[in-house]
Amino acid sequence: MSDLALDVVQQALNGFLFGSSYALIGIGFTMIFGVMEKLNLAFGITALGGAYAALLVFQLTRAPFPLVVLASVAAAGLIGLVVEITCFRWMPGDYPLAALMATVGMLFFVEEVIVHATNGVPRAFPAPLGQAMFDLGPWLLRGDLAFMFLVCLAVMVALWLLVFRTRLGLATRAVSQQPVAAQLCGIGLRRVNAAVFVLTGMVGGVAGALIGSAVGNLSPLLALPLTVKGLVTAVLGGLGSIPGAIVGGLLLGVVEYEALYFFGIGYRDMVTYLLLFAFLVFRPGGLFGSAARR
Amino acid sequence: MKRTAMVVLSILFVLAPLVAAMTWEPAWAQDRVIKIAGVGAMSGVVRTFGVNAKATLDMATDEINAAGGIKLKDGSRAKIVTTYVDERCNAEEGISVIRKLASEDWLVSIGPTCSNVAEPLFGILQRKAGDAGDSGLQFPIFTDTAIKPGLAKISEWSFRNVPHEPTMYNHLFKWLKEKNPDAKTVMIGVESDFAHSNANAGIMEAAAKAAGFEVLGQEKWLLNDTEFSTQVGKFRRAKPDIIGIAAHPFTTCGALREMKRQGVKPKVMVGLTSSATLETMVGCGPEAEGMIIPTGFAPVTPEAKRVAKTVAERYKGNVDLHSAAVYENIQVLKMVIESSGVEGKPTTVASDRRKVRDGLAQVKEFNGLLGKVQRTEDRESTKPYVFAQARNSDWAVLFDPR
Repeated sequence: MSDLALDVVQQALNGFLFGSSYALIGIGFTMIFGVMEKLNLAFGITALGGAYAALLVFQLTRAPFPLVVLASVAAAGLIGLVVEITCFRWMPGDYPLAALMATVGMLFFVEEVIVHATNGVPRAFPAPLGQAMFDLGPWLLRGDLAFMFLVCLAVMVALWLLVFRTRLGLATRAVSQQPVAAQLCGIGLRRVNAAVFVLTGMVGGVAGALIGSAVGNLSPLLALPLTVKGLVTAVLGGLGSIPGAIVGGLLLGVVEYEALYFFGIGYRDMVTYLLLFAFLVFRPGGLFGSAARR
Repeated sequence: MKRTAMVVLSILFVLAPLVAAMTWEPAWAQDRVIKIAGVGAMSGVVRTFGVNAKATLDMATDEINAAGGIKLKDGSRAKIVTTYVDERCNAEEGISVIRKLASEDWLVSIGPTCSNVAEPLFGILQRKAGDAGDSGLQFPIFTDTAIKPGLAKISEWSFRNVPHEPTMYNHLFKWLKEKNPDAKTVMIGVESDFAHSNANAGIMEAAAKAAGFEVLGQEKWLLNDTEFSTQVGKFRRAKPDIIGIAAHPFTTCGALREMKRQGVKPKVMVGLTSSATLETMVGCGPEAEGMIIPTGFAPVTPEAKRVAKTVAERYKGNVDLHSAAVYENIQVLKMVIESSGVEGKPTTVASDRRKVRDGLAQVKEFNGLLGKVQRTEDRESTKPYVFAQARNSDWAVLFDPR
């Protein structure tokens, strides 16, 4: 096999695995949109906030990595609840832009809190699988990213079970399809919304801890890329679709890596956003979403 | 009764001078203060630069005030009053804060942090001092951190005391060639969307070529990238003897981690001047081990040790190659203010600024924390430096050419 072919496959492998970090973030965006039909631009910072809280727990207790992840899950769930209350519950319901802008404000607010707490200095995050590499013939596979991919699949299965096999899932689906009818049936809208934010926050916590571990560092610099890539992932996959978020994230990862290889860093993001543009024009509903009307 | 009163009076007579001596403060000239404004990044991901600069500014001015302040033209003494303003590493913000400071009664400013702020900021200053046809700001700025080469020549009101990177890297690569005669090739990784990193990559490349190395190319990434397998994969394939990384700690650490993962082990790793900081040690940990960086500060002189220790213990900051310049700049400003007849009155702000500018322009040499600092015709410094190496999660002096 030629060097070019080897490299193209290696890039696809890297992109596929790194795309699972986009997928985890994309799941959060897509779930909230699926239930409330509103975008939560503070989701990326929720994930990062959870990871920073977990890092604090790690620094104080030297806890093993699974406990660090759990701390991230708990903290991000809590941040998710705060976001729901401050950016959605308290906002006027008949003015959708209010909630959107509130989440933008929350994104920069939490980011600046992190900057002030850390002086913007990157902090090393525990990375137990950080150096694990597997040889697949001529190709290398990063152990931590492979693990993240498996977690991504596990999260998808868990969310599917939750949505389709539990009372909370039933209530969530009811609220997402017919909020008024759901309320008339006795389903508490606020309670369901809060549960969705806590739940997606917890997924964000998993994402934050695994991304922190894969990067090896936490930095406020991560806030904006997580937000933008999460949003692009959700749009590519189809807003509201969890499998779509996963496929969208993996697709985004592969496209980015191949673009980087063939065109260089100066064009990588251009290719990514051209892809987004193409989707919005030709398939606005994304890969798995319902067909949107123009 | 009379006797008791006499005893009390005697005690007061003895104690009064003692109490006065204990509570003595210099007799500050009424309404006479020297106002120096620090300008740097206090928010965003480069906040650490501003925090360290402010801590060093506070330390230096507290010391001068405690020693009696600054002597003015009429012989009276004035206290230094400071502020520290956030420029957010943003050009518009930097210009806005300097315009505000210049419209008030601040005498001079130290800053800014970022080169992308300094460059346009110097552009709004009067280009040639005294040019009546130029309405640019007549406000002296003495830069401590923004390091992109050659910026002070933009205006005669801009002065800088930052390391001269081309000199340092030329020397470093020449030294590396002597110490590693087997090393032939160099490859550079650069954070291409950050002005200083980009400029530094060019400096490294030119220095490597001048020292006789073959430069195999540059691999680029962006300031907030998190994954470097593609770029490091190209390092792995090219097998350069030396890898230079012109990037700030966040991506430097990521790239080093990926190098370790892919088993990329160059004979020498060279880093960006701004990464010779505690930040790199905190972020990179053992992955930074062995990296060599030329730096304009290391605690290698008694004065440098004292300043670093005081700032760390009492002001909760770190003295590094950037914040060390704040201490030096304050000492130079004190010298200039005292020798150029600054009056320090609210009515003499404009003429005092001009005196400070002219005084700074006349400085040819001063004592820096590492030794003599030479001033150049284009208002830059030629500073002493050392080569630092990351060892056991700290910076150690590898070579001291002073």
